[in-house]
Amino acid sequence: MKTEETAIVIDGLQKTYGKIRAVKGISMQVERGEIFGFLGPNGAGKTTTIRCMLDVIRPTAGAIRVLGLDAQRDTHALHQRIGYLPGDVRLPGEMTGRQVISYFSRLQGRQPVLLNDLVARFDVEMKRPIKGYSKGMRQKIGVVLAFMCDPDVLILDEPTSGLDPLLQKAFNELLLEEQARGKTIFMSSHIMSDVEKVCQRVAVIRGGEVVALEAVETLREKAGQRVSVEFGDLVTEDELERIPGVSMVRQHNGGYQFNVGGSMDTLIKALAQHEVVRLQAEEAPLEEVFLKFYEEPQKTAAQI
Amino acid sequence: MATTVAQTTTPKKRSEGLAITLRAMYVPRIIVGYGAFYGALIALLVVFIYPAMSSINLGSYISSPAISGLIGGRIPNINSFGNVIALELFSSIYGLIFGGIMAYVAGAALPVNIENGMLDLALSRPISRTRYYLETTFGVFASGILMGLFILFCVWIVSLFVKNPGIDWQWAWITQLVQFAFFVFAIGIGLLIGSLVDASRTAGGVAVGIIFLGYLINIFGGISTKFDWLLKIGPFYYAPATDVFVLHQLTWWHPLVLVAAGLVCGIIGLVIFNRRDLPTV
Repeated sequence: MKTEETAIVIDGLQKTYGKIRAVKGISMQVERGEIFGFLGPNGAGKTTTIRCMLDVIRPTAGAIRVLGLDAQRDTHALHQRIGYLPGDVRLPGEMTGRQVISYFSRLQGRQPVLLNDLVARFDVEMKRPIKGYSKGMRQKIGVVLAFMCDPDVLILDEPTSGLDPLLQKAFNELLLEEQARGKTIFMSSHIMSDVEKVCQRVAVIRGGEVVALEAVETLREKAGQRVSVEFGDLVTEDELERIPGVSMVRQHNGGYQFNVGGSMDTLIKALAQHEVVRLQAEEAPLEEVFLKFYEEPQKTAAQI
Repeated sequence: MATTVAQTTTPKKRSEGLAITLRAMYVPRIIVGYGAFYGALIALLVVFIYPAMSSINLGSYISSPAISGLIGGRIPNINSFGNVIALELFSSIYGLIFGGIMAYVAGAALPVNIENGMLDLALSRPISRTRYYLETTFGVFASGILMGLFILFCVWIVSLFVKNPGIDWQWAWITQLVQFAFFVFAIGIGLLIGSLVDASRTAGGVAVGIIFLGYLINIFGGISTKFDWLLKIGPFYYAPATDVFVLHQLTWWHPLVLVAAGLVCGIIGLVIFNRRDLPTV
């Protein structure tokens, strides 16, 4: 076993387009062998950050290092070791899937050692021209292009966009397998259930700034439990919201639904003062926590 | 956070080849093919029309300053197959049509790969922007050379069916080299525009427009000696293919001016392409 250096270091990254500050100073690190989620609403700066990592656009200020290499100065050495999946996979219509794969494996200068496995796993169409492909089929080609030469770091922009639920599951399994092989994965996504399943840590970016950077486990604890309760007597929303640890109270199926953080004991004792007809508790989805970051510009991670 | 890393082997290398160059030649195949076909068609048509044209005494008309400006050179008469070929194929028409094709293809060469997402994916590979640009340039120029050689080949083929074609093939080759110098200029202009503009048709159209502007400059410059100075700022002045083909006259450094201008434009385009942010598709 050996300890490796950090895979990705973003230090004070800024990107300005004229008067528009797309990225206002992002700093974060991704460890080797980690699956790191990068979330944020549309226009937050996710794709800008990713494109800076690839040197497709140049930062206004700050530095990015991937695998110890400068993302702007050492692109040749770096790009031999990364795989990239763009947010919108566009390809020339007249080329077939096989031609596209051959073209890009030549540019990579490496044999596509994982090609057969990926094609079989995702049932990728290879023979028809791309112009006949659906979005999902193009996305599968994009996944193959990113993974086929077995890169050390994968930079994925909304990788499961356009994939059906079965393929999303297959993709998540692929990510976990690659992580087990020591690969580092940096992925942006809007599909929070995927992020919850595969990522160890997530960063949430909003308005060009990172507003949260936490382990998924920590966020899970913050999300707490989701409780659905039906009362036999009259209980108001205000009464429930006054219970310590209770949040997001809303009416649901003739009763109430709300989230509870921390100990359930206080809640149970408060509910016991009323006639409880039905009570159900389950782990709250992280989606609600993430949406708070999207919706509440004044709150930071500590406050949510 | 300390992590363990599984040992993985690096995939075997594979030959890179000139994938970008070949792609740059393949993408404009239809428009370049149209150009080659047009040249072949003209050459074939001349075989049928030149007997009739040669019987008409158009000498003073053809050699007038106005017409010389239109055709970009001097042709004393159209009494021979070679002179008619020069008029129909190797006059300014060549630069306008075939040079225009090369300008369009070069102008669109970079932006088309922005539009179809290929550029982002290519630059995420270990391919520098300089290499991408140079391979694209080489591919465009190679397709122009193939088009030019095909047209010359068609002229040779049809001349075999003509008695006394009146073509000096050594000077025909020199004429072709002069036209290739014009291609270098057209491609340089196209690449410069293409490095600035993200839309392929717009970039190609602007590049063609510049070539056409050069043609207009040539026409107005030839109208009167008062406008001689206009000729010297237009590209057609430095590629007087009809003078070379028919009169066997060439100021040797003129084509070098076109090559130098093309290279300067190309280098500026390269610097711009290297420095700019590439747009999201």
